[in-house]
Amino acid sequence: MEEKLSSVAKTFTPSPIQELSHLAQRCNAINLAEGFPDFPAPPHIKNAAVSAINSDFNQYRHVQEICDHLAKIVKNMHGLDVNPLTDLAICCGQTEAFAAAVFAIIDQGDEVVLFDPSYETYEGCIAMAGGVPVFVALDPPHWTLDPNKLMKSITGRTKAIVLNSPQNPTGKVFTKDELEIIAGICCTRDCLAITDEVYEHITFDNEKHISLASFPGMQERTIITSSLSKTFSVTGWRVGWAIAPAFIASAIRNIHVKITDSAPAPFQEAALTALRSPPEYFESLRRDYEAKRDYIVKLLAGVGFKIQFKPQGSFFLFAEIPENCPLSDLEYVKEMIQQAGVVAVPGRGFFHTNLSLKRSSEVDHSYQKRYIRFAFCKSNATLAAAALKLLHAKGLKLHSIDKRDA
Amino acid sequence: MSHTFVMQVHCTWTCPLRFKLFFFSKHLGHNIRGCRRESCNLYPSLVATMSTVSTENAAVTTQNEATQKTHHPVQVAKRLEKFKTTIFTQMSSLAIKHGAINLGQGFPNFDGPEFVKEAAIQAIKDGKNQYARGVGVPELNNAISERFKKDTGLLVDPDKEVTVTSGCTEAIAATILGLINPGDEVILFAPFYDSYEATLSMAGANVKCITLRPPDFAVPINELKHTISKNTRAILINTPHNPTGKMFTREELSVIASLCIENDVLVFTDEVYDKLAFEIDHISMASLPGMYERTVTMNSLGKTFSLTGWKIGWAIAPPHLTWGVRQAHSFLTFATSTPMQWATSVALRAPDSYFVELKRDYLEKKAILVDGLKAVGFKVFPSSGTYFVVVDHTPFGLENDVVFCEYLIKEVGVVAIPTSVFYLNPEDGKNLVRFTFCKDEGTLKAAVERMKEKLVRK
Repeated sequence: MEEKLSSVAKTFTPSPIQELSHLAQRCNAINLAEGFPDFPAPPHIKNAAVSAINSDFNQYRHVQEICDHLAKIVKNMHGLDVNPLTDLAICCGQTEAFAAAVFAIIDQGDEVVLFDPSYETYEGCIAMAGGVPVFVALDPPHWTLDPNKLMKSITGRTKAIVLNSPQNPTGKVFTKDELEIIAGICCTRDCLAITDEVYEHITFDNEKHISLASFPGMQERTIITSSLSKTFSVTGWRVGWAIAPAFIASAIRNIHVKITDSAPAPFQEAALTALRSPPEYFESLRRDYEAKRDYIVKLLAGVGFKIQFKPQGSFFLFAEIPENCPLSDLEYVKEMIQQAGVVAVPGRGFFHTNLSLKRSSEVDHSYQKRYIRFAFCKSNATLAAAALKLLHAKGLKLHSIDKRDA
Repeated sequence: MSHTFVMQVHCTWTCPLRFKLFFFSKHLGHNIRGCRRESCNLYPSLVATMSTVSTENAAVTTQNEATQKTHHPVQVAKRLEKFKTTIFTQMSSLAIKHGAINLGQGFPNFDGPEFVKEAAIQAIKDGKNQYARGVGVPELNNAISERFKKDTGLLVDPDKEVTVTSGCTEAIAATILGLINPGDEVILFAPFYDSYEATLSMAGANVKCITLRPPDFAVPINELKHTISKNTRAILINTPHNPTGKMFTREELSVIASLCIENDVLVFTDEVYDKLAFEIDHISMASLPGMYERTVTMNSLGKTFSLTGWKIGWAIAPPHLTWGVRQAHSFLTFATSTPMQWATSVALRAPDSYFVELKRDYLEKKAILVDGLKAVGFKVFPSSGTYFVVVDHTPFGLENDVVFCEYLIKEVGVVAIPTSVFYLNPEDGKNLVRFTFCKDEGTLKAAVERMKEKLVRK
């Protein structure tokens, strides 16, 4: 019966993130792996959802006012003029917005450029639509964009570029110059862009998130996707959106309607309250996450990790295994779970190779097994507990494992 | 106070005319027509709407102050020109303009039960607001498998054979995208819920359609025998059936089952109305001998618990099929709304009395509507299940279902759904319109009164 699976389904494998999560659960490890908060969602937003349920907002709905708010926000943040009646699609999370966007524009054989390392879901989505993911490696240790690499990756079949900024897993926020380069290439090579901006409100050190769509010539060819999840700590509510030129947004809506029909009604209602949050809310969100970032950078550096790149946004830190430690990312995380009772994500799952390219002997890919992603979207108590455990394990030679052979 | 564009709700139950799937075969802005022809040639029976009609304007412009405005004229495949998506949009605003009573929308105008709403509220307050396990909150997977055992006698593994999705709509999309390859032959019964056709298009399937016809919409067995073959990959069954209210009988399911076993065909069943089974018992295909191993059984919370906006659905299938469903699901939505899942686990454990009362209430509503429609002069076809009833409108002398529905809104002040959009060949539906009785009794009575008063037989 196994042959009944579609060819696309057969190529997919279980998520390494989830498997380690199970091990971590068995060992009762502190979870710095999965990207969702362990602190409560803001009360004013939860109350709005409760109120919506009580007020009978429980049947199929499209809450148009969400679009009105988003149009205002996007105008304030990026100077973009968006028509709330035609340019938006409300979806079940950014995941669905992205999936619908991909199905709206990608045909069999279309190439889609992605920056590596990248969140694991994009590739799967593109493959499902029959597209071909093409990965452009960002250069460690600062994950800089090499324009030549990008240029070389564009072919006659390139349909779109996917941009996730602030980025998971590196915490990179693409600079204005880098965005200009990407925009320039999109315009001259006539490509579309799909952005994942879910961490748009989580940036540090006065870095401002700039949307690719705000560059000249880009609004007409960009699909912005984002959601409530990370900004409002409600990753389980599944309210997201796509913003695009009217005829693309229309396609996305059409497809979304066939995939899920609508986003959960009471949470759409609560989204109105969320999106009306005062500037203070976003300020304190940023401040809190910045404090957590500083804490975790200090902690991990203190136990020996190499942190050459401090995250500028998102709630992830991509740390390099200490130089004197010969373990791979997978082995290290396993040790960390078992010895320190702390779990994070081995970085290799975020790196990809282009199947079409031959492995170049000049390019050293070994760095792809040396990174570990830590999530710091956790309460201060959790982070402190993790700190204690890691420092204690350091004493137990977690970081001197290489001396076993001596 | 939010504006709810109730008629514009992109629920395919209610506005099937409006949003059909369409392809962008090449880069936007040029070559669209050429490639549309291409996809039309490959899948001539599939809709390849290129409608870019916005909710407001016919002409669509992109705005960018830094560059010139580009105009993209609306496009729609020829077969849909007659039923322009604007028709439903027009009908929607007509309905509002004329204060029409809406018996078109396939969702209740009353709310779900308190105990389920309370459970969701409690879950939110208890902090269950983050990502659930992708395949479902374990508590819910357990409740689903318990319910399935109660309903069918089948014992399934909640963690390996149950997958929670954003509504049954997503279960259908994930099943089709996860298990159907481009070129695979899939059999559909018309009239059908239009997400089936759309997602089959997305999967590149080759659709073979068998039409169910009034008065009893029985399965044409001979036609089925000629259509199904070793080349058939899957068959889709919706029972109880939207829009006709037909329920597949044990005899029909047995014949289909033996043909599927003989030809090694998968079955995807949509059973969202299983608790609204009035005239006969609902039967799950998966419970027939030899069928569980080749069936994906789909269902949801919405219709049974009058909470259609919560979007909790599920797919039950043996592990080798669940695998494909889960792959697609993980890239479509990744996870389903957490607090609602907790509430659903409470809902599914409702006592028998809940379901008994549900049926009783709907039977009363059905009687009001059906008696009323008969008295008005429609030819009413028997509906065994769902909260829909399909009628022949021709006694009123209008040329087709769409024209009739427009007339019904403007001159009578009642909304019904033209069924032609549920067929591959719209002609098959031109005599039929669908009414729903998932409305409170006052609304149903008022609608019947208006029709008695103003609908004149020709």
